[in-house]
Amino acid sequence: MTFRRLLGFLRPYRGQVIASALLAIGSQAAGLTVPYLTGRVIDALPPQGHDRSRLYVFAALIVAAGAVKAVLMLFRRWLAGRLSLAVEFDLRNAMYSHLQRLSYSFYDRHQTGQLMSRATVDLQAVRFFLGYGLIFFSQNAITIVIVVVALVAISWQLALIALAVSPLLMVSAYRYSRTSHPILKDVQQRIADVTTLAEENISGVRVVKAFAQEQRQIETFDTGTERVFAKAIEAAALQARYVPMMSSLPSVAIAAVLLVGGYDVVHHTLSLGSFFAVNGYLLLLALPLRSIGMWVGQYQRAIASGERIFEVLDVDRDILELPGAGDLPAGPGHVSFQGVSFGYSADRPVLHGIDLDIAAGSTVALIGPTGCGKTTLTTLIPRFYDVTAGSVRLDGADVREVTLESLRTAVGIVSQDTFLFSTTVAENIAYGAAWATPEQIVASARQAQAHEFISDLPDGYETRVGERGLSLSGGQRQRIAIARALLMNPRVLILDDATASVDASTEARIKLALREVMKGRTTLIIAHRLSTISMADSVVVLDHGRIVAQGRHDELLDSSPVYHEIHEHGLVERTFVQLDPDGAPIEKDGDQPPVRASGGRLP
Amino acid sequence: MRAVSFGSHINARGSAAGGLGFRRTARRVRALIAYAWPHRRRATLAAIALLLATATAIAGPVLLKFAIDRGIRPGDYGQVELWVGVYLAVAVVNWLFGSAQSYLTSWVGERMLTDLRRDLFAHVQTLEMGFFERTRAGVVISRITNDIEALESLVTDGPTTVIQNTLTLVGSAAVLLWIDWRLALATLTVFPGMAIGTAVFRHYSARAYRRTRERLAEVTAALQEDLSGVRVVQAFRREQANLRRFTEVNDSYRAANVQTVNAAALYFPYVDLLSAAATAVVLGYGGVLVFNGQMSPGDLFVFIGLLANFFDPVQQLSQFYQQFLSATAALDKIFDVMDTQPAMIDRPDAIELPQIAGEVVFDDVTFAYAAGGTEVLRHVSFTVAAGRTVALVGHTGAGKSTLVKLLARFYDPTGGTITIDGHDLRDVAVESLRSQLGIVPQEGFLFSGTVRDNIAFGRPEASLEDVQAAARAVGAHEFILDLQDGYDTQIQERGARLSIGQRQLVAFARALLADPRVLILDEATSSVDIPTEARIEEALSTLLAGRTAFVVAHRLSTIRNADLIVVLEYGQVIEAGTHEQLIAARGRYFSLYDDWVEAVA
Repeated sequence: MTFRRLLGFLRPYRGQVIASALLAIGSQAAGLTVPYLTGRVIDALPPQGHDRSRLYVFAALIVAAGAVKAVLMLFRRWLAGRLSLAVEFDLRNAMYSHLQRLSYSFYDRHQTGQLMSRATVDLQAVRFFLGYGLIFFSQNAITIVIVVVALVAISWQLALIALAVSPLLMVSAYRYSRTSHPILKDVQQRIADVTTLAEENISGVRVVKAFAQEQRQIETFDTGTERVFAKAIEAAALQARYVPMMSSLPSVAIAAVLLVGGYDVVHHTLSLGSFFAVNGYLLLLALPLRSIGMWVGQYQRAIASGERIFEVLDVDRDILELPGAGDLPAGPGHVSFQGVSFGYSADRPVLHGIDLDIAAGSTVALIGPTGCGKTTLTTLIPRFYDVTAGSVRLDGADVREVTLESLRTAVGIVSQDTFLFSTTVAENIAYGAAWATPEQIVASARQAQAHEFISDLPDGYETRVGERGLSLSGGQRQRIAIARALLMNPRVLILDDATASVDASTEARIKLALREVMKGRTTLIIAHRLSTISMADSVVVLDHGRIVAQGRHDELLDSSPVYHEIHEHGLVERTFVQLDPDGAPIEKDGDQPPVRASGGRLP
Repeated sequence: MRAVSFGSHINARGSAAGGLGFRRTARRVRALIAYAWPHRRRATLAAIALLLATATAIAGPVLLKFAIDRGIRPGDYGQVELWVGVYLAVAVVNWLFGSAQSYLTSWVGERMLTDLRRDLFAHVQTLEMGFFERTRAGVVISRITNDIEALESLVTDGPTTVIQNTLTLVGSAAVLLWIDWRLALATLTVFPGMAIGTAVFRHYSARAYRRTRERLAEVTAALQEDLSGVRVVQAFRREQANLRRFTEVNDSYRAANVQTVNAAALYFPYVDLLSAAATAVVLGYGGVLVFNGQMSPGDLFVFIGLLANFFDPVQQLSQFYQQFLSATAALDKIFDVMDTQPAMIDRPDAIELPQIAGEVVFDDVTFAYAAGGTEVLRHVSFTVAAGRTVALVGHTGAGKSTLVKLLARFYDPTGGTITIDGHDLRDVAVESLRSQLGIVPQEGFLFSGTVRDNIAFGRPEASLEDVQAAARAVGAHEFILDLQDGYDTQIQERGARLSIGQRQLVAFARALLADPRVLILDEATSSVDIPTEARIEEALSTLLAGRTAFVVAHRLSTIRNADLIVVLEYGQVIEAGTHEQLIAARGRYFSLYDDWVEAVA
C-alpha cells in the first residue's frame, strides 16, 4: 500500500522511469553477453578449435559489449540519480506545502522537530530506495530472470537444481521483511525524537543557559540517542540473523550444480563448455541472490519512512473551504458571534454559547483573567479554528462559507507571539503584503511608532532580524508586528496583548496612532490596562469562557462588580512612564564621564 | 570533553581553507576512527570475524577450482564430492562469521555515531550565546541529525566493504599471479587509467558533496523557521509565497546534489568499462599464449573465472569511495562545529563560586556585541548590596537587557569588571555562577514535558510539594489545577495552548523554585493581566526579600519599592539612587516622574 503510494511519486516521471528501466535491461543484457562470448572464445581455443582470428573477434566483441554496457549504465545512472532527486524534491515540497496549510490545532499537537525529521531523514531513506534501490532491485530481478532463462536453455535439469534453494530464500526474505518493519519504523521515530530534543534545546538555549541546565540537557539528549542506539542494534541483530544466511544459500546451489553437472561431465553427458557456461551463469546469479537480504532491509526502511511521511500528508486539513466558496463580500466589518461554543478537545470546552455583536467600525476591548478564552475567541474570526457550535459571521457571511484567502486578508492580527522571520525589517513588515512599496512600508512603520527606532538600527529597514539577526526588545518586536498588520489595511483588526510590553510613552504614541487606524475598521483589543480599555467603545468581560459583562466603561463600573474590581486594581497598577528615547535628553553628551552611583551602596 | 581535544588546535573559522582539504579530511577521519578506540575489544572481534568471513569467501572459488581441476577434468567423481563437501563446510563457516561480523561492526559503528552525536551536542552546549545568534537553529540541528545520519553507512558498512574488498582484491591478485604472472600483469595495465579517473572524480565530487551538506542545512533551517512561525504564516496568508521560497531552497539543494549524481554517473561506468577491457586483454593475450602452447586452456578458464573476483572488489571499492566522499563532507561539517572554540570557556584556574551573599559590583563596564562594534554599554559603574533590589530604568534599547546578560555571563564585558561578593565573574566557573542565578527572560520558553517538569527545570530533583508551593507563590496554582491533568499536563509544542500570561507564570514559578541568590527579571511583568499581576507583585516582594534582584521593569510600584534605581540612557548610567533620592535630585528621573504624575492627573 505504502509502496504503491510511493511509486505514485514516480508517475510524473513515467517516461524517465521506463527509459532507465530499458537502459538497465540493455546494460544488463550487454553485460550478460560477456560470459557467453568468453565461452565461445574458450571453445575456439585448442584442443577444440584452431581459429586464431575468432579469438580476436571475440575479444573485440567483449570490449564492444563492455563499452555498450558502460554507456547505457552511464545514462541509466544519470537518469536514475536525477529522478531520485526529483522525487525527493517533489515529496519535500508536497510535505512543506501541506504542512503550511494544516490548522493551528495540528501544530498545537505536533512538535517542530518531529515534522522536520520526517521532511529530512525519512525523506532521504525514501529517496535512496526509489532512486537507486528500486532500479538495482529491478536490475537484479531482470538478471535473475535472464540467467534463469539461459540456464534452462542450456540444461533445464541443472537449472532446476540451481533454483531449488529459492523457496527457502523467499521464505527467509518474507520473514525478515515482516520482523524488521516495526523495528525500522521505531528507529526512525527515535531519530525524530532526538531531532526534537535538539530543536527544543537550541530554540530554548537562553533558558537552558539561564538555569545552567546544560548538563541535564546533555543527559536527556543522551537518553534519546541511547534509545536510537538500542533500536538500531535490534535492527542490526535482525540483519545479522538473516542477511548472511540468505547470502550463503546460493553457495548450496553452486555446490549442487557442481555435484550433478560434474557427474554429467565425468559421464560425458554434458560438454565441458556447457558446464562452464552453466557455472558462469550461476556465479552471475549468486550476486543478485546474495543481495536480496540487503534490499529487503532497504525496502523496509523506505516503507517505514514512507509511512511516516504519509502520516503527515494524510492529516486532513480540518479547516477546508467549501466547494465553490466565494470571496468574502465587501463590507464595513460587522462581526457577530452567534451561540458560539468551542473547545480544543471535545471534552473540555473553552467557550460556551458566546453571543456577541460588534458593530462595524467600533472598538471592543476584551478583558478577563488569564486563560478565560479571550485569545481563543479572536482566533475564530480568521478561522484558525472552527467553532464546535454556533457560527461566526463577518459582514453577514459565515466564515466557514468564504475563501480563507479573502477572509484572512480582511482580518489583521497582532498576536501575543511576535514571531519575526530571519530576514530584513522591511520584509518582515511586508510579510503579508508582497506588493507593498518602500513608501507604504515606512508609512505603516510610522503609524506603529516603529519608524524612529528602525531608522536607528545599523542598516535601517534592511537590518536583518529574527534568529541570526539583530535581537530586538519585546517592545520593538511588537511594533514591527503592528506595522505588519497595519500594512494589510484589514477590515477587522485584532490586537492581542499588543501594547503590553511596550513602555508607557511608546504605548501612548501607539495609541495615538491606533486611534487613527481604528477609524473605519472594526477593532478587537485584548486589553490588560485601563488606558487601553478607555479607547474602546465597549468592553466585554470574559470569565471561564462566558461573557459575564458587556457594555460601556461607565455602565459597567456601575453594573458589574467584576469590572469594578478590575478597575480598582488597574488604577493602582498604572504604568510608569519610561524615558522618552526621542525627546531631547537633558544631558545628552557621549563624552561625559559616567555618573557614579551616588547612593549606590545602600544602607 | 574528549572530542573537543581532537581538532581543537585548529580554528575552524581561521583555517577556512576548503582547498587544502586533503590533510584536514585525513585528520578528521582519524578523529572519527578514534571513536572506535573505547570499543576496541568488539572492534577487534569484528575484525577477526571479518577476516575469517573474507578468507572463507575467497576460499570458495579456489575450492571450486579444485573440484573442477582435480575432479571433473580428470573424471574423478570422488574428488568432486570431496571438494564440494569442503566447499559447503567453508560456506557454513562463512555464514557464521559473516553473521558475527555483521552484528559486531554495526554495533561498533552505531556506538561511534551515538558517542559522536552526544559529544557534538555536548560541545554545542558549551558554546556561548553569540554562536546561537550567528548560526541559524536549523543549521545546528542539521549537523546533529542529518550529518550524523550521513555517516551511518560509512561507519557500519564502510570497514566491512574496505577490508573485505581489499583482501579479496589482494587475494585474487595473488591467485592470479600464481596461476599466470604474465596475464596478471596484463590485467594490471588498467590501473593507471583507474587512478586518473578516481582523482578526477574526487576533484569534482568532493566540493559538490560539501555544498550538498550546506544546502541541506539550509533546507532544515527553512523548515525549522517556517514551522515554528506557521501561525504567522497563516495569519498573513504567506503559504504561496513561502512555498515559492522554500522551493528555491529545496531546488538549490537538488542542484548541488545533481552534481554529485553527474560525477558518479560518469565514474562507475568508467570503472566498469575498464574491467571489460581487462577481460578482453586477458582473453586476447591468453588466447595467443594458448595457441602458442605456452599456457593450458584450463589455466585460462580459471584465470578468466577469477577475473570477476578481482574486478568485483574494484567496483565495490569505487562505490565505497563515493560513499566515503559523501560522508566526509558531513564529517567536515560536524567537525567545523566541534572545532568552534567556546568563547566563554572557563579559565583553567576558574574557581567554583562559593555560596554567595549576592553583593554585585559593576565597575567601569563597557560592552560591544561585536569587536569594534557599537558600544551598547559605556563605563557603567554601580554597586548593589546583597539582598537588595535594583530597578533598571531606561527606554527600549538603552542597554538594560544587555546589562543583565553580562551579569548572567552570557557575554564578558569588553572593558571593566563585574564582581559578585568580590569574585570577578571571569574567574569563576560559569556553571557555579548560573546555578545561583535565577532568570525570567522576556519570552517564557517552555519545553515539552509536563507542567511540573517545566517548573522544576532549574531544580529537577524538587518534590511535587515544592513545585506546587512555587506555583502557589506566583499565583499559577489555580490555573494549573484547571488544566486537563493538573501538574502532569503535557505542555504541547512550546505551550501553544497556554496563554502568554500563563506561560509567564510558569516561567516565574520556575525561577522561584530554583531559589537563586540573585534574581533577574527581564521585562517579565508586562504581559500578565492586571489581577494576576497584582498577585505576582505580592509574591515577588516575598521572593525578593533576602536576595539580590535586578529588575528590568515598567511598573511604578516595582521601581518605587526598589532599593536602587539605575537610569540608563544610550548605554550609560545617567542617574542612580532610591526613588526619594532621585526625586530630591530633581534630575532626569524627576522630570519623568513629573510627566507621569501629570499623565495620571
